Amino acid sequence: MAFTKNPQTFTGKVAEVVIGTGDSAVTIGGENVFPLYSFDAEFKNPPIVGIDISDKGPDRNIPGIATFFEGAESLAEIAKRASEAEGASFVSFSLDSADPNGDNEPIEDSVVKAKEVADAVTKPLVIQGTGNGEKDGQLLGKIAEALEGKNVLLMSALEDNYKGIAVGAVLAYGQKIAAESAVDINLAKQLNVMISQQGVKPQSLVQNVGTAAAGYGFEYVASATERIRGAALSQNDDMLQAPIITPLAKDAWGVKEAIVSEEDFPEWGPAEERGISMEISTAVACLAAGSNVVILKHPESVKTVAALIGELV
Amino acid sequence: MSKFLVIGERIHVISPEIKEALATRNAAPIIERAKTQLEAGADYIDVNIGPAERDGVDIMKWIVPELQAATDNAPLVLDTVNQNAIRAGLEVYNPVNGRAIVNSADAGDRLSNIDLAAEFGCIVIGLLMKKGVPRDNEERDEYLQTMLEHAMEAGMDPAEDVFFDPLTLVIKGMQEKQQEFLDFIRTMSEMGLKSTCGLSNASNGMPKHVRPIVDNVLCAMSIGAGLTSAILNPLDKELMNTIKTSEIILNHTLYADSYLDI
Repeated sequence: MAFTKNPQTFTGKVAEVVIGTGDSAVTIGGENVFPLYSFDAEFKNPPIVGIDISDKGPDRNIPGIATFFEGAESLAEIAKRASEAEGASFVSFSLDSADPNGDNEPIEDSVVKAKEVADAVTKPLVIQGTGNGEKDGQLLGKIAEALEGKNVLLMSALEDNYKGIAVGAVLAYGQKIAAESAVDINLAKQLNVMISQQGVKPQSLVQNVGTAAAGYGFEYVASATERIRGAALSQNDDMLQAPIITPLAKDAWGVKEAIVSEEDFPEWGPAEERGISMEISTAVACLAAGSNVVILKHPESVKTVAALIGELV
Repeated sequence: MSKFLVIGERIHVISPEIKEALATRNAAPIIERAKTQLEAGADYIDVNIGPAERDGVDIMKWIVPELQAATDNAPLVLDTVNQNAIRAGLEVYNPVNGRAIVNSADAGDRLSNIDLAAEFGCIVIGLLMKKGVPRDNEERDEYLQTMLEHAMEAGMDPAEDVFFDPLTLVIKGMQEKQQEFLDFIRTMSEMGLKSTCGLSNASNGMPKHVRPIVDNVLCAMSIGAGLTSAILNPLDKELMNTIKTSEIILNHTLYADSYLDI
């Protein structure tokens, strides 16, 4: 009997969100099929990959990263170089120095840095805060103001600071925000509900539903992400239809497999290769579970994952 | 599992306000009732114009476009025993936000409303009755088979295109019939069929303060048994909350602390 193709598409679909401006603006989301199931229906906007840089500069202890950023000293130069990475659709800028549990750099200084980066790149920009809810609540609003017109995506609208960020960044300055929850499907939905109730429209809202490095409790990430995407498509739940963005570099490069030196574990081989492998494995697992966007830090990982998406979708 | 479908019942000729508006061709109060029901969470709006033997065709030709124009083409249930009036409504209906529902066919004289629905590619409500309400589930099953066969012969997909109504019976006086009613909903659910009913009939004749709790509990038990839609008053907030909560418990929608607000 002949094989009958029976494509699985849904009435529910992921919302579309545009970040950036002009020719290099990117649209994320929009699909009505399961992740990477391009055999069921055309993917409206295939997933994309971004490259992350820290305001403390690139991690030059990693040889491949050091080589890639060689000669790039100022933040503007670093950002420009990052934006040229093969496979990178956008640049992510992490304000690590602003962390109150670290350097606790004043907000004004972070704003100046963000502006320098924004002026240096034409590709869309994603801003990652400090991970401290209180500080980010103030910081991201100021950055939204300083980067007005750039249509940037501000990460980390949390349960306890979403109001300020939603009102300050989206409603006042027209930026995009990502609601952040940590592998908790009910909270993910709740945050989207509350942010929507502030007046934020679907075309301005992305969600970061949390991640872990592959092998480190990733099964929870996979099931949470799949459940969210499943509800968005099969149950047409418009409170879960925001595109999913997953910054995973810190998780992937923070585990033992990526950190321990070759001297200590000669049988494991070069540390950098292991880190890249962790980053690629985690990114691909996130994409298979439902992420529309992944943020990585090693140019080699960015290139590889982007190429994989290109082949699959 | 698709979402439970709420059909708003508040445009009904039995309401003096609606009766007057239909008679004088005054769309405003009818549109108002459609809008408030949609805002309250109705997925479909039932438009009951009564028997309308004399001017049903004119009424449907007039009210369907009026309502749809004012509500961004809200999906409608065309509700009258006058088949020509339903046809006239379907001819001017815009299905962009959902296929029309014909209310209703039965296993007796109104079987041909299935053909009418098939002709227009829309949905039909099939009342599990012939003459008078069904005596027991054996009769319900007989009527179900009659309509299933008829729908398939008419080229319909009975799992998608027909909502079977097992007919709610008044609890006061027919208490012993309620378990059978729930059993039949479960049977239909297991057959993969869609169902609907007018829930509030069950509490007819009860004191005003008793009716809400009866409506709520019967609603929850029916959804638990597999009911997929109901014709009800969406402005009844408790009832809407009962539906939302039932869907949470059955895992048809994902829980969030604010689930009652959405």
